[in-house]
Amino acid sequence: MAQLQNLPDELQLATAAHVQYIQSLDSRKDEYEYWLTEHLRLNGVYWGLTALHLLKKPEALPRDATIDYVLSCQHENGGFGAAPGHDAHMLYTVSAVQILALIDAFDELEKRGKGKAVVAKFIADLQNRETGTFAGDEWGEEDTRFLYGAFNALSLMGLLHLVDVDKAVDHIKACANFDGGYGLTPGAESHSGQIFTCLAALSIVGRMESVEADKLGKWLSERQLPNGGLNGRPEKQEDVCYSWWVLSSLAMIDRTHWIDRDALFGFILRCQDTEKGGISDRPGNMVDVWHTLFGLTGLSLLGYPGLDAIDPVYCLPKSTTERILGYKK
Amino acid sequence: MASHGIARTNRNRTEEQRQQDLDRIKKYRDLDDQIQNHVRQSAYDDPALFHLTTKILRLNPEYYTIWNVRRRCLISGSLSKRSAGLWRSKASPNTSRSVTTKPSCVDSSPSPSAATRADRATSPSPKKTGGSGTTPDESGKQEQEENTAKPVGDDEGKKDKDEADEIATDISLIRSELAFTIPLLIEFPKCYWIWGYRSFLLSLCDSILPAAVAREFWVAELALDSKMLTKDRRNFHAWTYRRFIVSALESTKNDSSGGESTKSMTESEFAYTYSMIKVDLSNFSAWHNRSKLALRLLDERGADDAARKEFLDQELELAREGLNVGPEDQSLWYYHQFLMDQITTRGEGKEDDVKHGEGVKGLIAPNLSLADRREFIDREVAEIKDLLEDYADVKLIYEALLEYTMAYQAMGESSEDIVNEDEMMAWLAKLRELDPLRQGRWDDLEKSLKSI
Repeated sequence: MAQLQNLPDELQLATAAHVQYIQSLDSRKDEYEYWLTEHLRLNGVYWGLTALHLLKKPEALPRDATIDYVLSCQHENGGFGAAPGHDAHMLYTVSAVQILALIDAFDELEKRGKGKAVVAKFIADLQNRETGTFAGDEWGEEDTRFLYGAFNALSLMGLLHLVDVDKAVDHIKACANFDGGYGLTPGAESHSGQIFTCLAALSIVGRMESVEADKLGKWLSERQLPNGGLNGRPEKQEDVCYSWWVLSSLAMIDRTHWIDRDALFGFILRCQDTEKGGISDRPGNMVDVWHTLFGLTGLSLLGYPGLDAIDPVYCLPKSTTERILGYKK
Repeated sequence: MASHGIARTNRNRTEEQRQQDLDRIKKYRDLDDQIQNHVRQSAYDDPALFHLTTKILRLNPEYYTIWNVRRRCLISGSLSKRSAGLWRSKASPNTSRSVTTKPSCVDSSPSPSAATRADRATSPSPKKTGGSGTTPDESGKQEQEENTAKPVGDDEGKKDKDEADEIATDISLIRSELAFTIPLLIEFPKCYWIWGYRSFLLSLCDSILPAAVAREFWVAELALDSKMLTKDRRNFHAWTYRRFIVSALESTKNDSSGGESTKSMTESEFAYTYSMIKVDLSNFSAWHNRSKLALRLLDERGADDAARKEFLDQELELAREGLNVGPEDQSLWYYHQFLMDQITTRGEGKEDDVKHGEGVKGLIAPNLSLADRREFIDREVAEIKDLLEDYADVKLIYEALLEYTMAYQAMGESSEDIVNEDEMMAWLAKLRELDPLRQGRWDDLEKSLKSI
């Protein structure tokens, strides 16, 4: 990767600025945006903390306060809301489990929280036992994001046996399209985000046999545009977050070499705010922690120097999934 | 927290801007605090709470918890008494019971106010298992119709009038709820929670309104969805929602006489994809939906082998017409590829078909003869080669040529019939030249070409 060392300054990873940016996120309580995004808080903690781990600064957010905050979002039924007082939902429950996995704090969930078994029951109860898919909460919205979330969190807690895996796998197959991709629900158009959720769910349970790797790889590789960035669907604009959805999917079918690594590096690095930290969707736009994480995971998957390795299935550092799941990829 | 397409600005605010932010924060947090106070006391039947949710959702429609609070307000207070019981198990937040394995309406009520109402409500019908809150509940509707059936005496007559009044109240409430979300949906067309709230309202219509009335709501919803797709032709929320509406309309009785007839909308939806494609050839969402409808359309038409072959022919022509003017458009090539797959794969063992979620039959023209298939492929390859005369630098053309030739070979046919090996290697060289970003893929392609 010698050529990367010779890149101009603005194309070097601004590690220190990114760390500082993430640390500053919770000190912005005098900004209106901080309150308007409270419904994403627990996701935000997961995004920021994972980014810090990739940047090799896992201590940059205080561990105890993180655990306290996570547990303060838990409900009696085991599920987690985005912030204290917010309703329990699959999206935040998965983030909570991922955060606790990341900082090795499942024991605190047993001691001070409601415990793994109750969390797992909350998740398992959201499975539609007829179709195999999952709802996000009691109001019943269903899509493959929630199915993946359930598999992710349950497998990290070692409680996947609580759900009907075969039915869920059948449901994913029903979401497959002729182009090799997957949609939000059966019948829906292929979309990189949903391809990630479906492939990762299949990977977790070791059921990749139905994946049409060449066809899907072709579709995924066509997401790269001349400027190096990736889009999420045909004839759409590029966006840094697809560096994750597309690339992790390519990684799961062993085809990351089907796109141009250096061109994508260049695109992601051009989206940095090198001065104040953070990464945006496209060069010159507002940064946020979500694009910051998915820019970094993209760089990590392609082996950018100085970053910790990311697990393409769990979107957690490989060191975390190896510690918990006990396998090496 | 996830900003898209917003230009980066200097993140330093002036003192005045900071003060403005502080004022807005105070207003927002006051609203939030008031709502949380009501929620802590389970005061969902207090009309003040409902109004507070209106205010805060206009400021922030992504605040999902507030949409849930609003649902609970409807169920616990605003809807007529006869309706409340149908949804009472959800009148309190985060009950730990399963949403998908038990009938929600026969559970004991966790909310005192809802319980009182439920006692007076007409007998609630259990929702079907798996009731996700998004599927129309046939049994519920049927019962509603029975409940609104003819009176037998004076008391019954009064009861009947009360019920008619209550239905009118519910209709007007649901109508105003739908209207409330429209400006929000227009401003935030990709907000999952707004779409989710509308689907809740529509499902509510099915549970509590007479079938014919509920159907009118679904019909209007399809029109709104079309409007949303005019504003953003690729919005996948709107496309997914459209399929949801169509399947609801197809599964409900469509005449007021209460007959059991249902009507497929495959023909009209197929025609809709055509109208969208005519406006914009690059609309892959429309091409995708067309691919999903094609098989069902032919089945419903009772198409014989000749009609199926004819259909395939027409669709190929439609794709080719587009390619003649826009050969760099991926959408058109994906649809063309879908059609060619129909010819090159036979689904022996049917594994392929199952993978595509198309069912076991899974092919547009399952009984094409080998001669027909060869003729189709010959013709398409020749037509695509012709494109090169005008568009020698469009890499998707070379890609298609290689792919279809290889698929032809995989049928057990000799590619010498249509191209020679030198020609294939020349196409690969063009791919490398025109599309250097995907060298790794071309390397793998070369390996598989050489292994044939």
